[in-house]
Amino acid sequence: MKRFDLLSTIEYGGCSSKLPAGLLSEALKDLPVALDPNLLVDVDTHDDAGVYRINQETALIFTTDFFPPICSDPFEFGEIAAANALSDVYAMGGTPLMALNLMMFSPGRIPMEVFGEIIRGGDSIVREAGALIVGGHTIDDHPPKYGLAVIGTVHPDKLITNAGAAPGDLLVLTKSIGTGALVSGQKNGLATGEDYRRALDQMKQLNKTGAEAAAKFGISSMTDITGFGLAGHALKMAEASHVSFRIRTGSIPLLPGAYQVFEKGSIPGATFRNQEFTVDWAHFTRGVDYNLKMLVHDAQTSGGLLMSVNPDLASQFVLEINGPGPENTATIIGEVLSESPRRLYFE
Amino acid sequence: MKNWQSSSRISYFCAHMKTVDSQGLRCPQPLIMLKEALQEISVGESLSIITDNETSLKNLITFLKDQGAEAKVTTSGKVHTIITIRPDSNLTDTEPELYCESCLPINTYVVCIQNNLMGSGDPELGKVLMESFLENLKLQENLPTHVVLLNAGVKLAMKQSPVCSALSELEELGTRIMLCGTCIDHYGLQYDIAVGMISNMVVITETLAATGHVIYP
Repeated sequence: MKRFDLLSTIEYGGCSSKLPAGLLSEALKDLPVALDPNLLVDVDTHDDAGVYRINQETALIFTTDFFPPICSDPFEFGEIAAANALSDVYAMGGTPLMALNLMMFSPGRIPMEVFGEIIRGGDSIVREAGALIVGGHTIDDHPPKYGLAVIGTVHPDKLITNAGAAPGDLLVLTKSIGTGALVSGQKNGLATGEDYRRALDQMKQLNKTGAEAAAKFGISSMTDITGFGLAGHALKMAEASHVSFRIRTGSIPLLPGAYQVFEKGSIPGATFRNQEFTVDWAHFTRGVDYNLKMLVHDAQTSGGLLMSVNPDLASQFVLEINGPGPENTATIIGEVLSESPRRLYFE
Repeated sequence: MKNWQSSSRISYFCAHMKTVDSQGLRCPQPLIMLKEALQEISVGESLSIITDNETSLKNLITFLKDQGAEAKVTTSGKVHTIITIRPDSNLTDTEPELYCESCLPINTYVVCIQNNLMGSGDPELGKVLMESFLENLKLQENLPTHVVLLNAGVKLAMKQSPVCSALSELEELGTRIMLCGTCIDHYGLQYDIAVGMISNMVVITETLAATGHVIYP
């Protein structure tokens, strides 16, 4: 039997499926906010997950994420969607405990073997994270979507939110930027097979190492980079922390080939939507390369962690994450400044 | 016969202009086609691109504006035609005449302002001169990469300052306005800042050291 291509189920050039951040804030603005002294992180700071303290030693981290296929291979799609969903737990400094599969799938249109492959891919990553899949929920829908609802734990005093960045800290990014560019580039025949493969491999990578190093070093603040791009998530972190960030675009690690895809003009619609969201808050010095300016807005799938780290510990911290292997890309990309009229200053 | 006439008319009117038809295509395909087509024509030559997708229209316009190009849109029903002129692209990097023989860019410079008054003498005069300097600075064809404000110079970026709009305009144009954080704390101005990035001596020193040319007005 011919291998089923998951990308054939989604519309050509479907860009990113996330709702624009501005639209979302507007729609949610009148929703009553849940108040509870044990609710350590709520929707207020646009953080990655909700966190609830159940006793002095343990807080629960609760999060979910799912999306339509971003690659052809079902097993690989399962792996990426799972790594992406688990990332929110890591971004709070926690450890994943249990997960539920969330699946939208139409057996009338896609062979059931594909269903099994997606679930198996997700399961392999959840196992790698040391967590358990304890069930799930499926509804008939097309194109398919898959992801997880995840519960993790963290010691209430070890919780790392996006609201703790302090002036003087250095900013560390743990994965390269450019997954959105390369996924779109692949669809348009503008990315090489090798570069696209690197992007897929990076998306499957858990943010476990980064989160463990963050807990060990007691860093002040952290978030993960996903659909709103580096600039969008950095903006939310700077806002929640009441500070401003200065980011050197030349220091941002890029996936090989991502720049070339943008250079050829294959810039996904999500990139422009993300740019619209930060436009009033981000300042780019004249001379910042246009493609780099767009890449900081590139929507990431299962992106890295953005952390603010005490400057005295930063280089040791980066070494701790990167280890001896050549594959890791944790890099210092900028610094935290006192709250200024704008939130993000790119140069 | 009718068809032949109309098609010949199109080619007559469009003989001098390259046309890219991206109808039926969705983002980012039209943008790829636009960028390719722009590279095929010379600077100053015009180009038209047709799209029937609202999102693509918006993205094409944003892209053109970011390149410093005009985008004139005419719409008929659901079909939009954008007419543009290829800008002198890569304005920011490789302009050979802006490079001296040693290949160091001589066109970039930083303005470092250490006082809210210009020169020494009558403070009233110093104030007028500083206002006039910043108003003229923003009109320069070659703008500074950074304006660093030190000591009483930070007062220029406060809400009550007569030049804070000139500094905002410079910032809009891509000049980084840098404020000395220690100086702001010293004068107790934390709540009055209208424009600029609060910075520290590490960043300021780095900026001054990296540029080839600093102007101290």
